[in-house]
Amino acid sequence: MATTEVLGLRARERIGRLDRIWEERPGLVGWLTTVDHKRIGILYFFTTLAFFGAGGVEALLMRTQLARPDDHVLGPSRYDQLMTMHGVTMIFLFVIPMTIGAFGNYLVPLMLGARDMAFPRLNALSYWLFLGSGCLIYASVFLNMAPDAGWFDYVPLALKRYDTGLNIDFYALGLIFNGISSTVAAINFVVTIFKLRAPGMSLNRMPLFVFAILAVSLSLIFALPALTVDCVFLELQRRLGFHFFDVGHGGSALLWQHLFWFFGHPEVYIIVLPAFGIATSIIPTFAKHRMIAFPLVAMAELLVAFIGFGVWAHHMFATGIPTATLVFFAAASMMVVIPSTIQIYAWTVTVMMGKPEFKAPLLFIGGFITFFVIGGLSGIMFAAIPFDQATTDTYFVVAHFHFIIFGAAVFPILGGMYYWFPKVSGRLYHEPVAKASFWLTFLGTALTFFPMHIVGLLGMPRRVYTYQSGLGWDAYNLSETIGAFILTAGLLLIFGNLVWSRFRGPPAGPDPFYGGTLEWATTSPPPHYNFAVIPTVTSPYPNWDRDDRAEDARKLEAGELVLEEGHETPASTVRDGYLDEVLEMPSESWWPLTLGVFVTLLFVMLLLAHFVVAGIFGALCVLALGGWHAQEPAEA
Amino acid sequence: MSEHALPRRAPRPKPLAHPNGWWGMALFLGSEAVLFGALLATYYYLRFKAVHWPPLGTPEPKVVLPLVLTAILVTTSVPMQLALRAAQEGRLAATRLLLAVALAVQATYFGLQIHLFLGDLAKFSPGDHAYESIYFTLVGAHHTHVAVGLLLDVWLLLRLSTGLTRYRLTGLWATTFFWHFVNGLAVLVVLTQVSPAL
Repeated sequence: MATTEVLGLRARERIGRLDRIWEERPGLVGWLTTVDHKRIGILYFFTTLAFFGAGGVEALLMRTQLARPDDHVLGPSRYDQLMTMHGVTMIFLFVIPMTIGAFGNYLVPLMLGARDMAFPRLNALSYWLFLGSGCLIYASVFLNMAPDAGWFDYVPLALKRYDTGLNIDFYALGLIFNGISSTVAAINFVVTIFKLRAPGMSLNRMPLFVFAILAVSLSLIFALPALTVDCVFLELQRRLGFHFFDVGHGGSALLWQHLFWFFGHPEVYIIVLPAFGIATSIIPTFAKHRMIAFPLVAMAELLVAFIGFGVWAHHMFATGIPTATLVFFAAASMMVVIPSTIQIYAWTVTVMMGKPEFKAPLLFIGGFITFFVIGGLSGIMFAAIPFDQATTDTYFVVAHFHFIIFGAAVFPILGGMYYWFPKVSGRLYHEPVAKASFWLTFLGTALTFFPMHIVGLLGMPRRVYTYQSGLGWDAYNLSETIGAFILTAGLLLIFGNLVWSRFRGPPAGPDPFYGGTLEWATTSPPPHYNFAVIPTVTSPYPNWDRDDRAEDARKLEAGELVLEEGHETPASTVRDGYLDEVLEMPSESWWPLTLGVFVTLLFVMLLLAHFVVAGIFGALCVLALGGWHAQEPAEA
Repeated sequence: MSEHALPRRAPRPKPLAHPNGWWGMALFLGSEAVLFGALLATYYYLRFKAVHWPPLGTPEPKVVLPLVLTAILVTTSVPMQLALRAAQEGRLAATRLLLAVALAVQATYFGLQIHLFLGDLAKFSPGDHAYESIYFTLVGAHHTHVAVGLLLDVWLLLRLSTGLTRYRLTGLWATTFFWHFVNGLAVLVVLTQVSPAL
């Protein structure tokens, strides 16, 4: 659609009409009231990037403290806060909102050939709630009351008796709040994926990235309530004197762990599955070969999410629960190997079968596969119960999950930033600098996290703010700290490249890499309405079907599936993707922001224990919802 | 819209798939099911660790009245479903009447349950023991859901006072679904709640 000059008069008229219908208000007001999934994706991107920066600074401060034995850059209580905030930030405020909120929001409707998400205003709401929860959690840092009992916040340490300030209340209320945002976002994604696929996109033709987002969204919907209930129990106990976790009054400390990890292990796959999805987007493009075993990979993505619900107690092998239980969870944990291995083979064999062009995004996927295999192998080791009991709470565990969470989850995010940068910005990034940034990041990651395996086996416990000299840990710790700074340099080079390219990069055109999915079938950046003609899909790689895309241009002239008479997008049947109806979509609105502010104030008042005022804000939320739903779509 | 324009915009007069709002509610209820699953699991987890349940000195829960009330609440699934069918057939007056009947019964149930809840609070407190904590949390969570359902009913009746639209039909569809779910859950909650006295 970039080549407007070759279009006929009627086609240009139709595009003009679409532009007028879908355009949003300019300036700040436009951003505050937007319901455009691309703008919401960009808001998510920059917000999560800010939290990534904060979490990174926390990590650097910790590594600086641990560079030498008996150091005192940070005191123990400050260290505990930074360690907890690092975990909470990277998981809840960076990886999930970055993959679901930023990548998912921007890309899923484009890959599906839709004009927006199923619930555009709900989408805006999930962003404002995310921003509110992130600000609430980070307010604690500035008040020197940051959560300090670790990201998994075990009781009894997290109970009022041992943690008297508001620290843990920030954690519990912040995560309940954050969970609302993630839940509404996940519901929105599932409905979008089920209902708004382009005509002809049956489930077996859906991009694998979308399968991954589907798996993650379902995991979020079914896992988050356990965390919410757990945090509600904790707040009821801390604030109102309920007894859930103290043995003296019939409670149980392990109850916290069961509920937490029932959420917490699916959470691990929630973090890593979008990375699988990004890998399955980048590999076919640069290998110039469709993903082999396409249906198996799709099933494996869903299977990983499903098995993730049956393995939570492997985080609790050292708590003294019965051996029969341990064996069940150990076996379930080993099962995860099967779908993971299917995917690893599919990725590597696709690269081997094609003619790979090792541009920066594919390099990052290579790094991802390397780290995922290493982290996966140490993961299998934990499924062996005696090994787990020996290494629990040591740096070996820290090494394992950073290989997964940083190596396997963040590397594809970085590769994905390069890969979709031309689509979002309309410009190409600088390839040689991008390659250099990959090697720097790769080296930094390996140097930071690999020695943690060794110090872990040498007995260094995790979550300590300092250690004695003479235990053989000093050199490893120093190299980890040096690695962390190299890694930071690599990350800064990536962002520097993207910022420079945003202003100085050469124009990218609609499809610089010849990608197979539909986001490459429109201009870069895409127009507000995404596609002038709703594309019709006949294969899993619709942008490689040149005849179909040529047909789109003819349809634009003829006015088929242009829908230029209203703010509309088509809906399809759930399984087969037959065109089913045309939906009138909501336009920009103040209600999501209004409701987001009320919910934020509700949580602030709960935190300050002003329950009556909190009730008033609760009532205002209900009224805002009434106002929101008073705006009905025009009847077709 | 003229009749011949239909195939270009929508292939069939009536869509095959359920509306987006129904799917949204279905997934939301999936999340709610886990929420109550966690509450019920906690109840039994704590119970099976306890020697005395309820603890000595705490009265056993009432049985007859909660069971009768729940049975009455469950019957409101019938007028809700009939209201939905009436709305799908475009019978506005019948929709409003059936919805009002359901609302009246549900509101009576809610009032009586809140009365019982406050009566319980006067006798024993959630700060006494884990039994009371999970008892009040579980029952309170259920009552909150009934309250939300009542708000949805009231909102629908207000919207339906100015006629029936597809948007409102989807709203009714989702609300009916919500009530079926809450009613089913009410059975699990009440059986758990009265189980120590059986």
